[in-house]
Amino acid sequence: MTANAAPAPDHMPPPRSEVGVIGWLSKNLFSGWFNTILTLISGAGIALALIFGLIWVFRDAEWGVIAQLGGRFIIGQYNTDLACPGNNCFWRPQASLLLVVALLGMVWGMTRDDVARNVAIVVGVAAAAFAFLPYGFDKMGIDVRLLLLANLPALAIGWALARYTPLGTGMRVGIAGVVIFILTLLLLRGVSWLPGMQPVSVIYWGGLMINLILAVAGITLSLPIGIALALGRRSRLPVVKVLCVGFIEIFRGVPLITLLFMSQVLIPLVFPENFPLNSLARAGIIITLFSAAYMAENIRGGLQALHPGQAEAARALGLAGWQTILFISLPQAIRNVIPAIVGQFIGLFKDTSLVYIIAMLDIVETGRTFILGNPEFLANAREMFVFLAVVFWIFTYGMSYISGRIEDKMGVGRR
Amino acid sequence: MAQAPASRRQLPRFLTYHGIPLWRNIVIIQWTAQIVSAVVVVALVAWFFTNIGNAIQERDIPYGFSFLSREYQTPIGEHFIPYESSDTFLYALGVAFTNTLIVSVAGVVLATLLGIFIGVARLSNNWLVAKLATVYIEFFRNVPLLVQLLFWFFIFLTLPPVREGYVISGLFYINNGGLSMPWPIPSNIGLGLAWVGIAIVGLIAGMLVDKRLTARETLTGKPAYPFISGIAAVAAVWLVGWILLTLIGGDSPFNVSVPEPQGRFGRIEGGFTARAGLLILLLGLVIYTSAFIGEIVRAGIQSVGRGQTEAARALGLSPMDTLRRVIFPQALRVIIPPLISQCLNLTKNSSLGGAVGYTDLTNVAVTMTQTAPAVSIFMLIMAGYLAMSLAWSLVGNIYNRAIQFGGRSRL
Repeated sequence: MTANAAPAPDHMPPPRSEVGVIGWLSKNLFSGWFNTILTLISGAGIALALIFGLIWVFRDAEWGVIAQLGGRFIIGQYNTDLACPGNNCFWRPQASLLLVVALLGMVWGMTRDDVARNVAIVVGVAAAAFAFLPYGFDKMGIDVRLLLLANLPALAIGWALARYTPLGTGMRVGIAGVVIFILTLLLLRGVSWLPGMQPVSVIYWGGLMINLILAVAGITLSLPIGIALALGRRSRLPVVKVLCVGFIEIFRGVPLITLLFMSQVLIPLVFPENFPLNSLARAGIIITLFSAAYMAENIRGGLQALHPGQAEAARALGLAGWQTILFISLPQAIRNVIPAIVGQFIGLFKDTSLVYIIAMLDIVETGRTFILGNPEFLANAREMFVFLAVVFWIFTYGMSYISGRIEDKMGVGRR
Repeated sequence: MAQAPASRRQLPRFLTYHGIPLWRNIVIIQWTAQIVSAVVVVALVAWFFTNIGNAIQERDIPYGFSFLSREYQTPIGEHFIPYESSDTFLYALGVAFTNTLIVSVAGVVLATLLGIFIGVARLSNNWLVAKLATVYIEFFRNVPLLVQLLFWFFIFLTLPPVREGYVISGLFYINNGGLSMPWPIPSNIGLGLAWVGIAIVGLIAGMLVDKRLTARETLTGKPAYPFISGIAAVAAVWLVGWILLTLIGGDSPFNVSVPEPQGRFGRIEGGFTARAGLLILLLGLVIYTSAFIGEIVRAGIQSVGRGQTEAARALGLSPMDTLRRVIFPQALRVIIPPLISQCLNLTKNSSLGGAVGYTDLTNVAVTMTQTAPAVSIFMLIMAGYLAMSLAWSLVGNIYNRAIQFGGRSRL
């Protein structure tokens, strides 16, 4: 450098090869020969998959098989002549859906939280959007469509109830949730002495309805049972501990499908004849207990990871044993294992598809029996199962989205 | 406060223990809780078995384990050890058990390999590869295994039949019956076993060579090519053993049997045929489980501090060596425990085999309940699954301990 040269400015702009699109590309895709080859190979793979995938989705695939089944994916044989003579029970699952959407609206109105808002709006709008399915009016009547559209006002009513009436506290919305779940079951099951509510046997229930009922019941019950089992396993009382360990290890050691099948064979033997325990209740109990055993291990992990100083400090401050567990240990333990708990919930939802072993027609089994019963659709099985995979994926991905947002809010891993 | 001692004095003695009222004494409360829960559970179990006993008597249901020595008289679609319908229930259960065992061992090995690949790919510097691995994990992890299995099942069902199936260079036959491929068949048992023995000796020799040369490399700092030398040693032992055995026995220890269509219906003889049920179950289990293992591997690698990678690279190790010699041995300690639980899950998930036509333990047991007492069968298969779970835990724990020691001694 000569003395005459202009002094270099303090801040030189970064070279053009390191910023912008080119910089990003050379850093992330073409840094070195190995990365370049990887990029080219995987890029070619993606391009081929996209081209053939799109051609298949839009040209070759015959999605008619899904339209053919239509509502049976959602409610199974609930509204057939066998289940409900006169086919006028369609409004009952739809009314249940209205109640659920109203509950989601209440949660949104109560928490005024953006996650609750997103979930409520997505569910409500999706339900209402089903009113515009391109079926003929003979297949999907105007009454069905109107009831589906009513989900939007239901959402608004739920929101307003929580916002402007004394219903909007956590406790009351929780109670409303339990009441709505029971009401939903009552609506679907029917009451013999009410006109228009003739009982519909559980064997005709089916479709996504069954998966959702089992998942909701399993999720709400397996968490408290799992907590109790985890506490029992860590208990200093030898008898309680042995019982809990035995329960957990037996339920974790055997496949769920085996337990479900055996429940069908054993429960009629164990209970007196004519004991009112239908296949749905049996499946619900087994799935709940199975999930609770895994839940117990997750929560135990959270409790073990907790520093013993927390419990000691609580005891030193004069909290009783149960207060220490309830107010100090458990909240922290559960917050630390939220990802594992949600993973377990997702697993539970996926496991509801296993009820095929006890001849219940959930959404997957509805599809499978349809294909096996109508061999002309054998070639369309792949469309069917791609569709089912997407349906399940939407629900499970939604669950992990909610969990991720809750973790962010609670600061999991940052405190 | 002043009233408390007064009220305590008024209590009759049999209502106190060490001077504390019974309902507030922690020892008494705990013992009562234990006794009550034990009594309740014992009563429940007793009630359970009384009811089963009554039902058995009233409804004339068969019970006990005497059925085990009866003939099963039902075919089992897929079996790896010889089986005929005239074999006993006990033997049939053993056949079903080996079926589950084989599919789970093969599944675990393949799923672990694929899972490691996916997990490493997810952390790749290459944006495209990392995103691809993420999509793979997020999709296959979130779709029920049953849906995936049925998808593959119906894909297989629409493949052409045996006679019109796909043939790849006259060696591989793919059709709706399964996949046939060339397979080594021992020319006679003695020679075959001898060569397998030599092969194992060769592997051990190779490992020793690798270890020795690595030690020398560490000591002298000069390249000794341990990995390549190890492989060369293995190849040399195998080749020498093969030639020796051929000279001694007059025939090579293994001959390759090539599958070939026979007769009018094109039935494929020779080679090894993996039936459709096994292939579908394996495919579904491996893809599903590898997505979970991929996440475990990613978490394990991320648990190793960034400084380790940077230090290894600064010392001049290649990216591959950094991963193989520095990152992975440390990550394994985090990876192994959840990996074991994935092995257990895979074993249990293989019970879905019945849905795709594979005769696994659960599937055979479900069929058996039609002709044999369900309670006994349930107990037997529960014992079977518990045994497999214990075996996986044992293998995993031994391996876990080995890598813990290895990791420390190398430091």
